[in-house]
Amino acid sequence: MNRLISGKSFIVLIVLAVVLIFFYPRVMDSYFLHLTIAIFLAMILASSWDILARTGQVSVGQAGLFGIGAYASALLYQWIHLPPVLGILAGGILAVILAVGIGYLTLRLRGIYFSITTIAFAEALAVIWLMIPDITGGAMGVSTPPLFGGNRILAYYLILAILALVIMTVWLIEKSRLNFAFTAIRQNEDVANVMGINPTRYKVLAFMISAFFTGLAGGFYSHYNTYIIPYEVFGLNVSIACLVMPIFGGLYTILGPVIGTILVKVIEEFLRVTVPYGHQIAYGLILVVVVLFMPDGLIGLWKKRIKPLFLKKSSVG
Amino acid sequence: MVDWASLLQSLANGILIAGLYAAVTLGLTLVLGVMGIVNFAHGELIMLGAYSSFWLFTLLGIDPLLSLALSGVLLFFIGTGIYRFTIWPIMKDPPLNQLLLTLGLSIFFQNLAMILWKTDSRTIITSYSGMSLDLGIIHFGLTRMITFLISVVLTVLLVVFLSKTKPGRAMQAVSENNTASWLIGINVEKTYLLAFGVAAALAGAAGALVSTVMYTFPMVGFKLSLKAFCILVIGGLGNIPGTLFGSLILGITESFVGTYIPEGSGWAEGISFVLLIVILIIKPTGLAGTRRE
Repeated sequence: MNRLISGKSFIVLIVLAVVLIFFYPRVMDSYFLHLTIAIFLAMILASSWDILARTGQVSVGQAGLFGIGAYASALLYQWIHLPPVLGILAGGILAVILAVGIGYLTLRLRGIYFSITTIAFAEALAVIWLMIPDITGGAMGVSTPPLFGGNRILAYYLILAILALVIMTVWLIEKSRLNFAFTAIRQNEDVANVMGINPTRYKVLAFMISAFFTGLAGGFYSHYNTYIIPYEVFGLNVSIACLVMPIFGGLYTILGPVIGTILVKVIEEFLRVTVPYGHQIAYGLILVVVVLFMPDGLIGLWKKRIKPLFLKKSSVG
Repeated sequence: MVDWASLLQSLANGILIAGLYAAVTLGLTLVLGVMGIVNFAHGELIMLGAYSSFWLFTLLGIDPLLSLALSGVLLFFIGTGIYRFTIWPIMKDPPLNQLLLTLGLSIFFQNLAMILWKTDSRTIITSYSGMSLDLGIIHFGLTRMITFLISVVLTVLLVVFLSKTKPGRAMQAVSENNTASWLIGINVEKTYLLAFGVAAALAGAAGALVSTVMYTFPMVGFKLSLKAFCILVIGGLGNIPGTLFGSLILGITESFVGTYIPEGSGWAEGISFVLLIVILIIKPTGLAGTRRE
């Protein structure tokens, strides 16, 4: 295997990165800290979508899970003053419960049933939320006091911890036998079945893991943002963002969703200023271009086109 | 004591809206049946049809029921273009890529519409918009009645096209088995192109109908495609009788919920999801269909 950098300098880089990430909030101003938190949150969504995609399933309704996480922790705070950290956890757990229900119904069928059901699920939650305002707060939304009394540095560490947990989970999946099961199911479900892998069970498991982190992200969002409305947290934009970021970066890799998220967020920040309505047109364009011209995303482009340029001299066979 | 008049009225309203739903879903069914693709951008083709009818009416004063044919032709060309430049290159890819591509197109057109025409809800008011037809105890809005009749005509035309004409029969053959069709000399790629074009034309015509009875706004296609997906599942993915049956079930259920449940018209928006889940629990292959799961 060709490496651009040796093992030793790789470790030094990692240590440097960790130190940098840890001390980052001490040196950055408030705006950049806020942007970083938003990017970390999006990375969690991207990586957890990718976990499910490893089994070949396309969720077009991550907003349903995100919104449930957001509302669970916000409403639990409002009703019983549950501490935000516990509320966020509750949001994750509730999302898992819903994922099990939807998963068992649809994941035994062809993939398209799952995609259709998830997209309808997120929309249905928005309808329910608008129709029972006494419980949900309706279109007016729900507000909560600022997370950690508005201390952005503590919020940064919390979202960093969740992100680390997600990355570690993806890494563990890659190292474990789950990786083989997921890949086998993605490549050929019938063959996987013959090999003794129960496709439905593994697909539901992947959906549960994905839902848990998406729910956590939702919970964090509601407390950090202090205010949520159904149109936003259950909106199609959230579901689309969840899938565009990892696809752009490169699927089934640890780094792909991370890189994809950074780039998509940068593009979005730029367009938000120039195009008031419809800046999400970039999401659609990215999807079309990636599927047509760079099926393995940026990571694939790097491996196939750019990395060989550097390695031309040293590469042997 | 059952109020028969309101029961009948509600049933009739449900059947009328079901006609529109069928027109909305038929193109989706055709592409799925022939090409094996669930076109997530189908709703956006309808949205484009609705906008073209709206602008033809507003700028040139052409009645939407006449411009329906124009919208259909326009969307036929847009559809064949979309097929040739985006879908054709990836027809042999895994189904995942086709899903993601059409989803990307859907997001692209939604946002393009927002950029071009803002998020305003637009309506067409014709000279006959307010008229209604009285039949004893029940009555119909004239526009709804006309959209229903045109939907029926579109359905009949599609069925005749598929069963009586040569390209239509080729589509049926390809939907059964594309390798065998190729072996007996059917140009499969041309058949795909035509099927996608016809489906887009149907979407254009359906869009013109939509512009007369609903608001036209950038997300209208997305809202309709959710209903269409539900109809697809009820009907058992990709056959025309199933689509008609599914449309009736959804239209009538929505109408009854709107009439008999407090604040029902708000809940009616969520009915398609509830129906979807119920079907997946009791009979995931669809109530009408016999296709494999």
